[in-house]
Amino acid sequence: MKVSRLFGLAIAVMMLFSLGLVPTLAQCDGEVIELEFMNWWGAAREALMDTLIGHFEAENPCVRVINQVQPWDNRAELLATAAASSNPPGIIMSTRPETYQFAISGLIIPIDSFVEAHGTDLSVFYDGEIGLQYWNGELYGLPMPTAGGLTSLYIYNKDMLRDAGFDPEAPPKTWQELEEMSAAITVADPMGVDVMGTQVIGITGEDASFVSWLYTNNGRYSSDDGRTLLFNSPEGIETLEWMVNFTNNINGGVENVADFFQDTAFAQGDHPWYDNQLAFLRINTSFYGHYNVNDPEGYADTSHWGTMLRPYNGDNPDATHAGTTGYNYSGAWAYTIPAVHSPEKQEAAFKFAEFIGVHPLGGCAFLFAQSRPSPVRECNENPAYYEVNPTWSVVLEGLATDVAVSITPVQGQLAEILANAIEEALFGVKSPADALNDAHAEMQALLDEFWAEFDADNM
Amino acid sequence: MQASLKSKHVQHDATRKLRLQEWWFRNRALIGFAFIFPWFAGFIIFDALPFIYNLYLSFTDYQIGTRGIPPWIGFENYIDIFTDDKLFGKSMYNTVYYLGFSVPLRLVFAFLIALILNLRVRGMELYRTLFYVPSVVPLVAATVIFAGFLNTRYGFLNQFLVLIGATPVRWLSSPDAIKPSLILLSLWGFGGQMIIFLAGLQSIPEDLYEAAAIDGGTGWHRLVYITVPLMTPTIFFNLLLGLIGGFQIFEQVFILIGTNGGPLQAGLVYMLHVYNKAFRDFEFGYSAALSVILFLIIFVLTIMLVYTSNRWVFYGDAQDDET
Repeated sequence: MKVSRLFGLAIAVMMLFSLGLVPTLAQCDGEVIELEFMNWWGAAREALMDTLIGHFEAENPCVRVINQVQPWDNRAELLATAAASSNPPGIIMSTRPETYQFAISGLIIPIDSFVEAHGTDLSVFYDGEIGLQYWNGELYGLPMPTAGGLTSLYIYNKDMLRDAGFDPEAPPKTWQELEEMSAAITVADPMGVDVMGTQVIGITGEDASFVSWLYTNNGRYSSDDGRTLLFNSPEGIETLEWMVNFTNNINGGVENVADFFQDTAFAQGDHPWYDNQLAFLRINTSFYGHYNVNDPEGYADTSHWGTMLRPYNGDNPDATHAGTTGYNYSGAWAYTIPAVHSPEKQEAAFKFAEFIGVHPLGGCAFLFAQSRPSPVRECNENPAYYEVNPTWSVVLEGLATDVAVSITPVQGQLAEILANAIEEALFGVKSPADALNDAHAEMQALLDEFWAEFDADNM
Repeated sequence: MQASLKSKHVQHDATRKLRLQEWWFRNRALIGFAFIFPWFAGFIIFDALPFIYNLYLSFTDYQIGTRGIPPWIGFENYIDIFTDDKLFGKSMYNTVYYLGFSVPLRLVFAFLIALILNLRVRGMELYRTLFYVPSVVPLVAATVIFAGFLNTRYGFLNQFLVLIGATPVRWLSSPDAIKPSLILLSLWGFGGQMIIFLAGLQSIPEDLYEAAAIDGGTGWHRLVYITVPLMTPTIFFNLLLGLIGGFQIFEQVFILIGTNGGPLQAGLVYMLHVYNKAFRDFEFGYSAALSVILFLIIFVLTIMLVYTSNRWVFYGDAQDDET
């Protein structure tokens, strides 16, 4: 059976579940609690989320979930103003840095007492996934989707490899192989680059890209306790030098990269990937669902594409493939509960968060319908995954090799400094070593200030 | 009898009318206040109170999640801005650079178009409408259209440049081109200023031009010695509004290059910095202090402009009085 049909079947099954197999709503004996659910599950996922909510309400007739899908634009201020208001939503979908920020500001509550009262089994999650939702020893949310698989995976175009004289079943494993193949595939034109092997810098937010490559060179962003920044190590400087050289020598400069991807997004059909103009694309696990929606025939044809792991520095004997989790702003999502609500509403919010997190008809089914992995180990063992995503084994391998990065509530400010420093190196304003060392000094001072205040408050 | 009654009635009406007029006259100040009250109430609620509250917040460490009264920290935010904040200087420089080019360019462009649209040509109403249409397009829509125009590979501007054999420009990806791109975009909304200029041009007495023509004045002479001097109040008005608006540029930059201000933050204008501090770093007190500084800069600049306007703005009546 073709992959796209299976994929469609999976969605149809989900729909049928919502229409027919859901038990009739039981009557609520008491007062119905309305739970505003602020989230970013837009586009094709909105219907899937409605289905999930339908299942939850069938089991919890006294809770009515209002699905408030938000636009992606202006996400930060929407979230900040909603969380800080006197009447926030009942439950909020937030990323790890935001969860930490809200936790330290007292805007959300830890959920350990609910976990204990409900007997929620946290061992069903991968340790790395649930571990990212703790701040200062307290748990603030249950994860969904995975934080893993955001940086460790690449999708590649087998036809382009074949045409360039490479074995399409042997994608690059090291930086050096990636360089060789990208150089052979890249075609320049008077406007910049017409066909690109790949780029090693980010399109938005250079810091996340650097940190991901850093871990494939046996480097680290910070110490385990999050108090010391380590990214300007010799491995870090070597990583940034490699990124700058790759960008200049193979892409023809940072501006070529920006122009090549200008006004495109892989969630939309206008991305160079869909026009066979890009051989290697760094993806997160949402890509499979988007690929299937934008180009179902291409997605179904697995002789055309494959999934590979992020290459590592072959010249560094200690380096190996790795991905990072919980670092950047678009990862490690959880469902957090505002502090200002009544205990009844908070209880209802936890029930919903728990349903999303661990119930088979919650995040498990929701992510399966998108061919995405779940933070719950058992969900990913569903053999049907191999049918809706033919490269499933590589996805699982990527998840297994992801490394959690220690961050703090001031991560947003630190990331901004690092991103600007990397841009300075890419534009030749500073050498990679100077850029990283200068950024390190500034960032460590900010981090020390944060920890000094934190320690004083928690004495 | 009937005539007498009618006369009494008319007299009564006249008395009532007179009393009403007297009452109106006695209470004219009150009635005037009643008419301006809706605006005044709006000003107090939506401008004055938020301004005062913002001023208060600028002296506090108000961050996201602060419940109750935010901690008072005096001038600490202001000291940090002038001593620690690298982006304060950078964003101010970017804004002033933008202002330095966009405000004069827009003034000149709007003035020239207004001059053309002031000619007596058949179908001029249509041309005036056409030139004003861009100003009716919402800024967001106009910016999105411009983003397409400025696309390095597929945008209209670069396609045109390549067609005429010129080198394409990396409008939004090169740090050197970001600010010129924003300046280019600012010209889009010249219609508002153009309409004001047009109104000003049409209020210039025709006999002045006739007198100049009789004295042998050329078109250039009429422009330099009649039109421009008589238009200085309008130029001054447009300059003032352009400067105030220019300092507050935000939406188009936000949409075109994002909150970080583009490559090397070459497009990080002041209001983006204010926004980032509030909504990305959640430092609302600091952000309030930044906005108070902007207010002071605009305020001082306005005062200076008004003060110096006596030297170059020609108010015809005032001149007449003096002579």
